[in-house]
Amino acid sequence: MDDKKAAILSEIPRLRRYARSLLRDRDSADDLVQDCLERALVRLDNWQTGESPRRWLFTIMHHLFIDQMRKVNRRGEAAMLPLEAGEAQAAPADQVETIASREIIDALQAISPDRRAALVMVAIEGFSYAEAANILGVPAGTLMSRIARGREELRGLLDDSSRRRSIRIVEK
Amino acid sequence: MTRRDFSERDIHMALDGELPGEERMAYDAWLEADPEMKARSARYIADRAAMRAALAGVMDEPVPARLRQAVFGEAPVKVSAWRSRWWLSAAAAVVLAVGGFGGYVAGVDSIARGGGDDDQLAEQAIAAHVIYAAEKRHAVEVPASDKDHLQTWLSNRVGLKLVAPDLGAQGFQLVGGRLLPAGEQGKAAMLLYEDAKGERISLFVTAESSATSKGTYTAEGGGPEAVYWLDKGYACAVVGSLPPERLSDVAKTAYGQLLAGISS
Repeated sequence: MDDKKAAILSEIPRLRRYARSLLRDRDSADDLVQDCLERALVRLDNWQTGESPRRWLFTIMHHLFIDQMRKVNRRGEAAMLPLEAGEAQAAPADQVETIASREIIDALQAISPDRRAALVMVAIEGFSYAEAANILGVPAGTLMSRIARGREELRGLLDDSSRRRSIRIVEK
Repeated sequence: MTRRDFSERDIHMALDGELPGEERMAYDAWLEADPEMKARSARYIADRAAMRAALAGVMDEPVPARLRQAVFGEAPVKVSAWRSRWWLSAAAAVVLAVGGFGGYVAGVDSIARGGGDDDQLAEQAIAAHVIYAAEKRHAVEVPASDKDHLQTWLSNRVGLKLVAPDLGAQGFQLVGGRLLPAGEQGKAAMLLYEDAKGERISLFVTAESSATSKGTYTAEGGGPEAVYWLDKGYACAVVGSLPPERLSDVAKTAYGQLLAGISS
């Protein structure tokens, strides 16, 4: 039991990194990780010995993320309602964030959640296509097309933001 | 060596370490001969490096105490249905992204998946409405004729001072109310109202909430709409199949009175 908990604990930094790429705001990302951990602990028995805790935890977290995104999506109107002051603007995770890293994280937030998850899972978290497809519960072909589209989308967004930045510089 | 035709797809595979080793040399030669593809590959590599750099710091941050606590703390209480509000920030991010990228609308693929067990207030309120508002004789446990008892009883059970709103100005009269489960272990009060034409709406009120949110919600397959408010310590949803403006008007009036009652 405690071995399992120790294994889970050692995955937290990775779960936090993944959550941060999905959600940007540090507290929200940690809320997602906490939900994931709580869910994992009540289902500790579902975790088969020998199975990688990483894959198991990422699968749990991904389901939480996608379920909620689906709800948010269906609740489009809720997203458009004015939130209480301070809620709408997610606090930047780090004051020392460079422009470049802020831009890339912003761009990542703007691509569709499915593509974001697929891309991050492979490009940052280092899962193989087979592992990532398994975690995301999609066929490998779907995973590959999400990654390819995600990269293209990201590139377009980064081009847009650097274009806007250069326009701002010209205007000064 | 058999040469196969490479394509953009292989750029991704090479980048992600999925290109078979024996194809690597042929791939490199292909890339070298195609400036456009070579530039694309270089760009993806640069973007990936930027992504990794932007997120690298997270790995070095100390694990927050609350997460450590979640693993090693007391036996976990069941995940509270409405504690999590991170999705709110995700919703806000969608709005910001849409605005921030000059109207660029991220195409969100719809995902078909059954709901998790973290059902939301609105879903529970709609489910209750669908079941009980359709009942002719057994819609409520305590009728409006016994309003004082209804209010006292529900207030005690739910743990909020409940005053049944007066929606007469909106054309709705109280039919009565009942006690329902809410969230994982909580309780909710359902107050049922009816207008002269027999159109019914219900108010679903619970103390089981620690999130802050408001909005409207309709189940995927259509059906009644819920207008809901969540706040710390109480949450309310008004459910009905009225035209949106009318439901919204009724909901605001009901919520205003409920809130006045709760904080009185």
